Amino acid sequence: MRKTFQKWLFLFVVVAFIVTFCISFSIESRQAKGNAVGLIRLKMEDARKQIVVNRENIATVRSIVDAAALAKARAFAKIVALQPSVLKRGEELEDIRRRLDVDELHVSDERGILIADIPAEYIGYDMAASEQSAEFLAALHDPNFALVQEPRRKGISGEMFQYAGVARTGTPGIVQIGYHPKRLQAAVEVADIANLSAGFRIGKSGKIIVGEAGKIVSIDNPAFLGKSLKEYGFSDKQLRRGESEFVANLQGVRYLCLSSSYEGYKLIGILPLSEMYVGRNEMGLFLVVCNLILFAVVFALVSVLVQRVVIDGIYSVNRSLERITQGDLNERVEVKTNNEFVALSEGINSTVTALKEAIAEAAARIDAELEVARAIQRSSLPGVFSSFPGRDEFDVYATMGTAKEVGGDFYDFFLIGENRLAVVIADVSGKGIPASLFMMTTKTLLQNLTEAGASPERVFSEANKYLCENNEIGMFVTAFMGILELDTGRFTYVNAGHNPPLFRKAGGRYSWLKSPPGFVLGGMEGTRYRERELLFQAGDRLFLYTDGVTEALNLREELFSDLRLEETLNADVAREMDVTTLLKHVQGEIDRFTDGADQADDITMLGLEYKGKVKG
Amino acid sequence: MVVTQKREEKHLVLTLEGRLDTTTAPQLEEVLKSSLGGVTHLTLDLAKLVYVSSAGLRVILGAQKQMSKLDGMVVKNVNETVMDVFEVTGFKEILTLE
Repeated sequence: MRKTFQKWLFLFVVVAFIVTFCISFSIESRQAKGNAVGLIRLKMEDARKQIVVNRENIATVRSIVDAAALAKARAFAKIVALQPSVLKRGEELEDIRRRLDVDELHVSDERGILIADIPAEYIGYDMAASEQSAEFLAALHDPNFALVQEPRRKGISGEMFQYAGVARTGTPGIVQIGYHPKRLQAAVEVADIANLSAGFRIGKSGKIIVGEAGKIVSIDNPAFLGKSLKEYGFSDKQLRRGESEFVANLQGVRYLCLSSSYEGYKLIGILPLSEMYVGRNEMGLFLVVCNLILFAVVFALVSVLVQRVVIDGIYSVNRSLERITQGDLNERVEVKTNNEFVALSEGINSTVTALKEAIAEAAARIDAELEVARAIQRSSLPGVFSSFPGRDEFDVYATMGTAKEVGGDFYDFFLIGENRLAVVIADVSGKGIPASLFMMTTKTLLQNLTEAGASPERVFSEANKYLCENNEIGMFVTAFMGILELDTGRFTYVNAGHNPPLFRKAGGRYSWLKSPPGFVLGGMEGTRYRERELLFQAGDRLFLYTDGVTEALNLREELFSDLRLEETLNADVAREMDVTTLLKHVQGEIDRFTDGADQADDITMLGLEYKGKVKG
Repeated sequence: MVVTQKREEKHLVLTLEGRLDTTTAPQLEEVLKSSLGGVTHLTLDLAKLVYVSSAGLRVILGAQKQMSKLDGMVVKNVNETVMDVFEVTGFKEILTLE
């Protein structure tokens, strides 16, 4: 039972462990993903804000640069107006350029032809010659004209260069300055979208990729700059997705991705799944360890507790029950480890107590019934020995000392007509009610058959036949019967397996009346019994007994024996006793011999003395 | 009483030791009841049987009756005490003694 319990407990703990682990793993996974998505979203938002800030920065720098350029252009125009002679003097122009901190100075006449320049090689250039310079021609007609051009790439170096110009003061013409907008360029370079990726990192190894028209414009690995997003590993379907997250295999690593579009850019935030699940995996490992310890402790504790509280109790109860089953009704179940066992113990104890009472009651009833049976048996035997008043031809006396149980001994004597006296002694095999019923049957049979006038051997044959026919339990009875003719003293007897009686001639000694006996009554069908004869003379005596006499045991387990019986009967002290006294004397000798030892069998004796034919 | 059983195919030998009386007879009866299946010949060895009462005789008679329908029952090594009982009760005449 303990093993079964532990098996199931173990199974339960394992299942609980797996279920707990699965649930927490799933929750952790979801949380990890949620966290990752949140993190990516936040970074993307930051990136978007960065783009906006960059643009605003550029706009601010631009407006400052523009204002400074216009101021310089106006200052130059004022100088030219106040001192037109500077146009002719290259050194002074160069000095002004340096002081204005610009790279080029251009002044045109009213037709738009450059008349003064630094560098000098542009003198004579017609402003209408190129689209870029033509934008300033409006200044020829508008004295309030002012323009700062967009910066353009210039020359082989591709450096940014910018022109600003105003109308000449006092005379038509154009005053123009040209310069490298270094601050603006710096601002623009800083704000370049290509730098965005480098500025953002998601977690430890997550990043933001910026695409524009399907091409990568910003990424941490320069090798992929300008390559298509598809080449990097995104599928068309993934690229068409809205703002929801997806998982993509990029360059052999699985990433959680989130994309969003902004101002023509496609921002994609990616975070390796391995990193996203780092927390979950650590937590999972932690849970596994904790749960293993916890469940091991639970398993051990429950196991021990069950062993102590339940199994030991059950074993104890079982041991007690076994003892009770083996008949020890004094055994008490005393398992007090918990209320249930207390209840169980009390239940069993009260049941056993009730059982004990019931048994005692039944035993008392059986005792009472046995007592009744014994009384019935006893009352069926002739008990009043003065039942033959006026019959002086004989003296008959019998005693029966029953053992504890109802025994199967019986004796009987009765007159048949006036002249014949029948004596019977018998011993039924076994004890108890069945034996006593068998005895009653036998006694009745023998008496009825005898009174019907049958001879002793016929009585036994008939009785044997009847007893064999109705004898399923295989009982039998040993019996001795004799019929004494009172006028002649002729004694006809028959023996069915019974102890031979002792016979004493008047004044002589008792000796065994041995003759080959017939088989016991009820033992074997068809047994033949042979009757024998003996002639009684006045004073002759017959002593009948059952084996309870010779087999009475003393405390040393010695038998009273045939020898002691013979000695007792032939002792001088017994010589002159009448039959009644003799039987009591023998009983006394037996009691003296057994000395308080339990009587195992009925002790039955019958004494008969023939006193001779009554004279007259 | 101690009952020792020895079985040789269809032959059962029971050795009785001690007293065969009211208290021990049911024991022998039980042995016979449970062991006689398939037995056609029974031998009772009474060498160590010191006493037999009428209850014991009843069981012996039962066995005798049961075996008489088959190959019979033999009672051997009967000592003097028990033989006296067999004689007095007439059992000597109906048993096969060896």
